[in-house]
Amino acid sequence: MSLRTTALIAGVIGVLLLAVGLIANAQRPPRDVTPSAAVDTGIVVVEPEMIAFAGEDRIGFSGEGDLVALTARPADAHAWLVGREATELTGQPDWESLSTADVAIEEPQPTASPSASASPSEAASPSPSPSASAGEEAEDAEPVDVLAQTSQDHWRDERRGQDRLSIVAADVPAGETLVVVSRDGSPLTSVDMSVTRDVQDGWITPLIWWGVFLTLAGIIALVLRFIDVRPAQAKGEEWIAKRQKVGEEDDPSPGTRRARRAAGEHLPETSLDEEAVTSASAGSAPSAPSSPPASSNTDPASAPSVDRDGQERP
Amino acid sequence: MTTRVPQLAAVASLAALALAGCVSDVPAPVTSAPPLEASGALLDEQSARIIDQTMAELAAADSAEDTEALTDRVGGDVVTLRGVEYTLAAEEDGPAPTVLPAEMQAVYVSAAEEWPRTMATVSEQPSEDETPVVMLWVQEDVDTDYQLRHWAHMIPGATLPAMPGATTGAAQLALDADAVSPAPQEAIEAYAELLRAGPDSDLDATFAPDTYRERLFAARDTLTEAANEADGEYVETIQPDLEASYAMATADGGALVFAPLTISSTFTVEDATVSIDEADEPLLEGELDDTVKHRYLDYLVIYVPGSGETDALPAVVAAEHTLIKVSD
Repeated sequence: MSLRTTALIAGVIGVLLLAVGLIANAQRPPRDVTPSAAVDTGIVVVEPEMIAFAGEDRIGFSGEGDLVALTARPADAHAWLVGREATELTGQPDWESLSTADVAIEEPQPTASPSASASPSEAASPSPSPSASAGEEAEDAEPVDVLAQTSQDHWRDERRGQDRLSIVAADVPAGETLVVVSRDGSPLTSVDMSVTRDVQDGWITPLIWWGVFLTLAGIIALVLRFIDVRPAQAKGEEWIAKRQKVGEEDDPSPGTRRARRAAGEHLPETSLDEEAVTSASAGSAPSAPSSPPASSNTDPASAPSVDRDGQERP
Repeated sequence: MTTRVPQLAAVASLAALALAGCVSDVPAPVTSAPPLEASGALLDEQSARIIDQTMAELAAADSAEDTEALTDRVGGDVVTLRGVEYTLAAEEDGPAPTVLPAEMQAVYVSAAEEWPRTMATVSEQPSEDETPVVMLWVQEDVDTDYQLRHWAHMIPGATLPAMPGATTGAAQLALDADAVSPAPQEAIEAYAELLRAGPDSDLDATFAPDTYRERLFAARDTLTEAANEADGEYVETIQPDLEASYAMATADGGALVFAPLTISSTFTVEDATVSIDEADEPLLEGELDDTVKHRYLDYLVIYVPGSGETDALPAVVAAEHTLIKVSD
């Protein structure tokens, strides 16, 4: 497999990685999410377990008008809730929604009175009356203050908001129940929780960069496949060859180091002791020198000069 | 084109699959509630708010000398007692209403999760001549406010037992609770019987000495002697109000019992007309002849020691004796 083929395969892989990385980046799940739930009662209850579950997260309540958040001991909050319509925030089943449930704490039912009578009475007889009907009365009634109707001695802490109330769950003392009330009794609209979750997306950015790198490699290989680079390659080879020939044909300029080196100027002058040469020759088998001796005792006039290239010179 | 769709879908699926593993699961729900940081029924801020509102309401009524202003925070016998005091104060040189200090040196709250609940306080000393005042607030149910129901000055020399702090609160004891001996109801009834029987009763040895009963017995002796001298008689009836009695556990395992008493006395002479103290005349209903009836509304705070205090006797640590009515 050639280098070009390998680069092309890497390019295809790079495109795939880049596509996956970009799609993942575009669809990257947010760290901060706000699961919510709709409510339709004027009172929302958050029990200590749910407050402990929320931890450092914020719990938000939306409605209209004056909203009041109160905390109390669970027993006190439950006693206050008896006979009142309320919604309890029960949990977070997924990252998008919260679960709620109706709070059903009923008042003790009074026993039926044995003195009840079915006999018609004058008071029960129909008669024309200018009094308004119950529905009209309800519509015309002044807004009531839900909290002012009863004692507030059992409430430990109180926070207020207009249309919106957001509370850090950790600010509610451990073990206490949080009760959020629409002061005028109008229903709250929603409850939500600002949650910061753990998203393991550290692999997306490296994936994109690897995809870019491999794609670029593939693109280069692909481009080179369609472009004939041989003329340029030949031109380059010629240039290299030309550079290699420099100095082979030109004579060195006289007086230059190259000329002096060519003349053998730098070679040391040595004198050989004839006796030593003889003894040395006796102790060893005669042999022809592998190269002509280049010594000063060789008469340059009688011996041909040989330059470093082995060419004879006059 | 048609061949690219599956490829794109595969890439998208791969990305989605990769992303699916990115998000951690929703944390598991918390199934058990964390313990309360302060399990007492009232925190310091709550009790301070109740005391402040009570004193404000009381001050408004005192300035108007009218019990109509006693609505939310003051109720029960305090309204009756304050009404009597306003009647006496309205007279020339009449005594001022009892000073109930707003500054407290101790506040005892209940740990109960049921109603009625109580809150007791011990005030600072109102003056050099008066001992601190023990006050009791009662909350009947969650929808009604804590109301000041009774007060009583401490017996000179008496000390209140250590009580659990506001963090835990004091257990609200039933009157028949056997956690203490004697049970609160037994203590109330025994002391009432002691008051009826007098100092020679065997019950006298079962309670620590206190100046309240000493003064009561002394007044009884005086009135009995005066009636005898006039060929008349002096009769006293004592009736505890168990319905309005409460008990709170002390730190040593004992109980602090709060009990109202009604004392009615009848002073009769033969062939004569009785007279009463001029200061009590504003409370007189009817025209005196040979008989005068006095009606007192008393309040006792009895400390029943814990089982560890083997040598200690139940003791009245605070008491109030207030004349509320004189009739013929």
